[in-house]
Amino acid sequence: MRSGLVILLVTCVAVAAFALIVQNPFLLDLTFAALLYAVLGQAWNWVSGYAGQVSFGHALFFGCGAYGAALANWHHFSPWLGIASGIVAAAAIALAVGFPCFALRGHYFSIATIAVAAIGEIYVKNADWLNGAVGIEFKLASAGLGSLQFTSKLPWVFLALAVFALVQLATIALENSRMGYYLRAIRANQDAAASVGVDARAWELRALIASAAATALAGSLYAQYTLVVEPESILALPISISIALVGVVGGLGQLWGPALGALTYAFLAKYVAAQLGGSGRGLDLVIYGGLICLIAALRPSGIAGYVRELFARRRLAG
Amino acid sequence: MSALLDVENLQKRFGSLRALDGFSLTAERGKLTGLIGPNGAGKTTAFACISGATKPTAGKIVFDGGEIEGKPYHRVARLGIARTYQVVQTFAEMTVLEAVTVGALMRHPRLSDARAKAADTIEFVGLGPKRDTLGKSLTIADKKRLEVARALATEPALLLLDEVMAGLTPAEAQAAVALLREILGRGITIVMVEHVMEVLMPIADHIVVLSAGKTIFSGTPHAAANDPAVLEAYLGPPIT
Amino acid sequence: MELGPLPQLLVSGVLAGFVFALIAMGLTLIFGVMDVVNFAHGEFLMIAMYLTLGFSLVGLQPVLALPFVALALFLFGAFVYRIFVRRLLEGPPEASIFGTFGLLVLLQGLAQFFFTSDVRSVNNAWFTGAVRLGPIRIGEPELVAALGALVVAIVLYVFIEYTETGRGMRATSEDRIAATLMGIDVQRMNALAWGIGSACVGAAGALLMLTYQVYPRVGAEFALTAFVVVALGGFGSIQGAFVGAILVGLVEVLGGFYISPAVKLIPVYLLYLIVVLLRPQGLLGRR
Ligand SMILES: Nc1ncnc2c1ncn2[C@@H]1O[C@H](COP(=O)(O)OP(=O)(O)OP(=O)(O)O)[C@@H](O)[C@H]1O
Ligand SMILES: [Mg+2]
Repeated sequence: MRSGLVILLVTCVAVAAFALIVQNPFLLDLTFAALLYAVLGQAWNWVSGYAGQVSFGHALFFGCGAYGAALANWHHFSPWLGIASGIVAAAAIALAVGFPCFALRGHYFSIATIAVAAIGEIYVKNADWLNGAVGIEFKLASAGLGSLQFTSKLPWVFLALAVFALVQLATIALENSRMGYYLRAIRANQDAAASVGVDARAWELRALIASAAATALAGSLYAQYTLVVEPESILALPISISIALVGVVGGLGQLWGPALGALTYAFLAKYVAAQLGGSGRGLDLVIYGGLICLIAALRPSGIAGYVRELFARRRLAG
Repeated sequence: MSALLDVENLQKRFGSLRALDGFSLTAERGKLTGLIGPNGAGKTTAFACISGATKPTAGKIVFDGGEIEGKPYHRVARLGIARTYQVVQTFAEMTVLEAVTVGALMRHPRLSDARAKAADTIEFVGLGPKRDTLGKSLTIADKKRLEVARALATEPALLLLDEVMAGLTPAEAQAAVALLREILGRGITIVMVEHVMEVLMPIADHIVVLSAGKTIFSGTPHAAANDPAVLEAYLGPPIT
Repeated sequence: MELGPLPQLLVSGVLAGFVFALIAMGLTLIFGVMDVVNFAHGEFLMIAMYLTLGFSLVGLQPVLALPFVALALFLFGAFVYRIFVRRLLEGPPEASIFGTFGLLVLLQGLAQFFFTSDVRSVNNAWFTGAVRLGPIRIGEPELVAALGALVVAIVLYVFIEYTETGRGMRATSEDRIAATLMGIDVQRMNALAWGIGSACVGAAGALLMLTYQVYPRVGAEFALTAFVVVALGGFGSIQGAFVGAILVGLVEVLGGFYISPAVKLIPVYLLYLIVVLLRPQGLLGRR
């Protein structure tokens, strides 16, 4: 627990220093993306890593947050009100969908999440009050925390860093709580967990609601950052997949897994692809997809799991 | 005072198969009841029904004065029934201490209390030296011990043990018997499935024999060993 | 009695169902034999469609290209099993979910890289007309695609039910350990299942090019429908997949007409949720 807090502190200081030193907007953009993905991956990790119920529908929660912010802007409300309502909507959907769906396990559950998110996407594309398939473009406002619009990327990096720190703290608390133990037990063996009094559905539901809320928060930040929401780039299956894959690459059910996965995603896939001039041509997908295949086949415990094994081996040897 | 557990005429069907077809059992408080029967008699199914893992098709289960048949598994556990599995169900990626802590959390929601309780229980069952070993790396005998510890950590009133002695060496079996006596000494009621009558004879207060889903005998170990119906169930019909 | 467009819709629904059936049978076959859901199934279909496109560019019409595409996909599927999926099976259960998902991302990326996101179609010279049957009018491409799918589906069914290898495959899907004891080479069965499952989408891809266009993300829509079909019929059940596919075809066509084409997939997905929640073993699945 203490080591987790120390690493978190060091990470935050390092990222802050990095953001202050580099002036390059491309690198700041990548840093923001990496932090946001780390948040999304960790939120996903609560349900799909610790509790082992693999969701491929998190774009729906992401969309709740993004559309909450966009609607607030459209109707001239404070973005903070939009963020709050997005979070509430995501949590409500999580409750309504999670309750029946947690009767399912394995691929039955995963496909159900895809189906639910797909229904959401089709609905949004046909809903006038959300401006349908066109999406919503934000009206520009004077920069500041009140409007949650900024002229530079630096405040965004710090905002994302704060949310990242919050989510990591929550995860440290989770690992050292009854809920953390219960979720891991449910993942390992739901039947045996029930035999010692664990109500799997109730705990999974709590995890999903928290996860949906954090994902919605990240969705709001993303929308305020890009100042546009379109169903295709917010709600479609590839978004759900990239959220899940950040969690997998880093390592399921591990505190630093999503952060490492996000780092890999941002700097390996996006950066390398951009350097090779292939982004938008699918090269990032190739690199990332290939990486996931390798990890799934060779190191199913992900990068964080591998690092851990290395340390464990060193300790044994030394 | 009434018996802790009273099962009456339980039925359980899997499709057309009648796994339980008139199973009855009474477990007195603080005593060890042995449940025996040939392969496929329905012993494990009986445990699954009592613990709430599956719903019986018909029949009554009274535990501590209240009817519990059909209640959800985790709810029954909270009422004070804990079990081990014949085919071990360990939390593979959790250490022994963590797995037993999951059990202890049922009565001690604070993690630090639960860990302390779990550490005690691990010592009690003799797994102390393995407390930081992952569940998947244990030997079968230790996995069974881990299951007992996990169940005990919930501080149950009734403990259902499904073939925990199977495959133990004679020395290990002797240690296990001593452990059972200590558990009984703590006032915990035990119902225990074993294939081999000899194991149960010296420790059981009461024997129930199950054959083809039906209770065919209920009485003292001595009477069981001399009952013709029991012998027939085990050895086949007498040759005339 | 005035039936209106109903007969036309029913026929279109069933015909669409035949093609779904072929895709879903491949998926359910793989699942049945080794409990793996191939999330990249749609991408295999996409590859088959691009291959068909390639053949048409050198002058081979889709119907003639079909056997070649199916064979190519057979080899591809068996190859993917040998070098990749086999390793996933050794890992934790999630590994096969993520592994095949990784494959999905990889194949989509490769398609986008080599073929760009442009939408392409085959210059279908052979079947351009339509067939009339009383009030019902069916486009020739749809009819040929559906009948072709039906034929391949029947061939597959006969293979599974009546050949030695097919029986071995069924034995493997019923009880892997017993199959090993009976001397069945499970690794070979697995590779074969991947080969045949992929050949199914190979054939389906060739037939689909008669009526659809291909682009890198074309697989997702079909794969999702295939999941629904397979769940509906019961994971692992070949007959179930067939029945499920026709149901889904009908639901899609009727939903598209009576509600709106834009939301035609919503009833399909709802159907999945309702079925897995109320009857997790599917309509014809065993438990
Ligand atoms: N989930 C199930 N579905 C179908 N049949 C089952 C199921 N569980 C058990 N059975 C069947 O019910 C019967 C009783 O099985 P059970 O495991 O309860 O017997 P048992 O007395 O514990 O046997 P053993 O001594 O081998 O452990 C067997 O015929 C078994 O095949
Ligand atoms: Mg048994």
